[in-house]
Amino acid sequence: MMRTVEIFLVIMIITSAFIIASFFAVLPSPRQVSPLNLRRLALTTLQTLDADYDLSETIFKPSGDPEWAELQIALSACLPPNIVYNLTIYEVLNGENMLYDAKKSISNAESLGIGSDASSYLVASSNVTFSVTPEKIGEQWGGGTLYILNCSDANGWWITGYTAQGLAKDLRNLLSPYFEDTIMVQDTTQLGKILNGTSLQGETLRNAVVINTFGEAVPIPAGYYSSPSVGYDETHTSYARYCNTLGLRVHQYNWTWASIVGWPLYYVSNTAAFSGNQNSWGIYGMRMVGSYGLRAFLQGLDNQPYSYSTSSTGSPGVVYLSSEASYYSNYYGIYPSPYQTSTRALPTSILTDFNLEVGLSVFNQVGSWIPGAIYRHVAGGSTIVTGSFLALGLTRTPDIRLTAVSLLAYYQPRLYRSDYSAAGTSRLAVLQLGQTGGI
Amino acid sequence: MTGATIDHMISVTVFVGAMLLFISLFNQTIQTAILYQRHRYIATKCSDMLDGMLLNPGNPIEWGKTNSAPTGFGLQDPEFTQYRLSPYSLMRLVSSTGTPITYPKTGATYSNMSMGFGNFLFVPYTKAINYSIATKLLGINNTYGFQLTITPIVTVSVKETHSANPLTLTVNVTGTGFPLANATVSYCFLKVVPKGQGQYPSYTSSFGTAFADVEGEAVLSFPGVTSTDSYALIAYAHLSGLVGIGYHERVSPGARTRYVIPFIDSFADRRVIMAHSYDVHYFEPPESAVFYNATFVLLTEDFTLREMPMENSTGKADKVNYGEGQPYKTVTIPTYNPGILIITYMSNNEYGVVLMPWGMSSMAFPVTFGDSPLGKEWVATDTRMVLVNGIAYRAMLSLWSLAGYSVVS
Repeated sequence: MMRTVEIFLVIMIITSAFIIASFFAVLPSPRQVSPLNLRRLALTTLQTLDADYDLSETIFKPSGDPEWAELQIALSACLPPNIVYNLTIYEVLNGENMLYDAKKSISNAESLGIGSDASSYLVASSNVTFSVTPEKIGEQWGGGTLYILNCSDANGWWITGYTAQGLAKDLRNLLSPYFEDTIMVQDTTQLGKILNGTSLQGETLRNAVVINTFGEAVPIPAGYYSSPSVGYDETHTSYARYCNTLGLRVHQYNWTWASIVGWPLYYVSNTAAFSGNQNSWGIYGMRMVGSYGLRAFLQGLDNQPYSYSTSSTGSPGVVYLSSEASYYSNYYGIYPSPYQTSTRALPTSILTDFNLEVGLSVFNQVGSWIPGAIYRHVAGGSTIVTGSFLALGLTRTPDIRLTAVSLLAYYQPRLYRSDYSAAGTSRLAVLQLGQTGGI
Repeated sequence: MTGATIDHMISVTVFVGAMLLFISLFNQTIQTAILYQRHRYIATKCSDMLDGMLLNPGNPIEWGKTNSAPTGFGLQDPEFTQYRLSPYSLMRLVSSTGTPITYPKTGATYSNMSMGFGNFLFVPYTKAINYSIATKLLGINNTYGFQLTITPIVTVSVKETHSANPLTLTVNVTGTGFPLANATVSYCFLKVVPKGQGQYPSYTSSFGTAFADVEGEAVLSFPGVTSTDSYALIAYAHLSGLVGIGYHERVSPGARTRYVIPFIDSFADRRVIMAHSYDVHYFEPPESAVFYNATFVLLTEDFTLREMPMENSTGKADKVNYGEGQPYKTVTIPTYNPGILIITYMSNNEYGVVLMPWGMSSMAFPVTFGDSPLGKEWVATDTRMVLVNGIAYRAMLSLWSLAGYSVVS
């Protein structure tokens, strides 16, 4: 008998457990099981109403304006009949204590039921123009001239698929807002003039930036800059001497010389002077200088005596934008690929050999190779910069956005943006939706 | 001893019975809870799938303007972001509601998206995307069924309240069961101009603007239009960003049997076939040819219609006959901008006009695509507001599982 009693006790316990479990295990209502996505509906409703900026115009009107009534009619007309809404418009404040101030609310029901969801939509007044004004490089420190080599009488190398002139145009579009003057150097004669220290359009020559858009080649003016001991090394039948002169000019005028791709100064080009010569790859109007050009240039930059000797580059492979370059890529809104292939990285030994320091690492250093950087020359015992050199030792073809980001990250011109949170310029529309009827 | 045995047997029997009962009860509760979870999953899937369709242009992104099947399904207008749909991708969806029509001269069957007589849209099955392809592209073949309905939010209906001179038309503008009071109604009135037997008819157009009253009604009056004139009215109603379109035609009685039916022939080439209605509907006895004059008009930003010259001037005004040896004619729509193909026609001195939208939104045609949710056990739905070339639509997706489980066992 005791066993039967015990069993009934067990049954009572399990029954209690079942009742308690059933009490707590309340199944959700179908509306909760299969809810309408009210948040998305609210957002798309606001977007629809603002398709022609009608919403943006209306919510800046005075509260008694008839357009509010039209907005309410439109809102009621476009939502399903079982949806109740509350549209509240907030003024965006720039105060410290309060961010939003409710301006007006329209609704078609006293309450939104037991469950509701909302979306917000920020609109700007059509009376306000938001703009971004860049600071000009050179405003504070002088200079501010951008020379872009656009020489019609020279050919490029390792800019496969592009022309130097096309790259020059793109660079001007990208960079001219940041410079006081942007000068397109149209031929090698004009290049010769600036090398002589003569400005082309009254611009400031010192502290300028010179971008060589010809890749591994560099335009060479005929005449003086191709002559022996200035541009031509008779002993070694090489134009490495011209590269040395370029380095001297960069040093003399405190320029920033930008090489956009490959091994800098590997060829010199002048289609008239070298019309019968080719660069050993079949491109006429060009002479190969080889690795001597870079070394000669760096000697000039460091104001060392010219000596004909080779330079070297490395091939670290895939390289990544430095954190600083990535930051400024975001800041200026220029987005090259964050990883690139480097096959012409310069060795770190040049830093000590030529009194250079890295002003900006464009790419992270790989071992003893620097895939891309802006080097500045500071003579021993001095703190004054006398010339800078941007070398992007990447494989072809060039991405000129990298050049733009590098220069902007180096000079860091500020962007003055209109303040979106200024009082009276922006309002926030919050549409809250609820469902009526059904379960 | 015997008492203990009986006690033991009773207790064991009761215990086993009770356990079976409780297992059954708990099992039922658990089973129902699992099913509810599955239904919730369907609801989430429905919301995701709807966003997936509406926020993705598909692949290739301009598949709506080609004749080939896409490799990825999506309806977003590739020129825009957000919930803006391509009027051409929508046009290539096989309608689930209209009765398909076969045109013997091409041997093709056409998806019927027409909205009554005179407002035609026929798309060949061979160049349209059917439900089966869509489910495969969406990766839900044999696992989920769906129906996508895209309905204009603003309904603009036109009713003839006085047919004789002056013609009076009442335009009624409503939202979702709510009149669009004070809506601006911009209209284009096209009156067919008879040119005589054997001639191609043309039309004159006039534009105007009216305002709906508090009940959403606007009355339009057209002096000089008699009860025998054929005409078409296209009305655009707009209020606070909502735009809707309505249309209405009147044709001569005989022009309801002999008329031109436009069939889309090629999306890629923007080619439309002009067919004699007798070739499609097999009317008897033999009847005369239909002379037509086709014009393509665009909706401008100020809600007026602007004519665009046709590329192929020979097909623009022509005649079509029926029966063997009487080939159909074609016209080429000059642009990929959405607009309306207006075809005025004449047969036996009876005049009429038919319209065909180029781009789903031009005449605010609705779209119903997919399987019917009727009879399905648990259907999750979700809704978004979308824009198709500036026209406000509501997109609703109904989704159900084909896995075979039920709400309650």
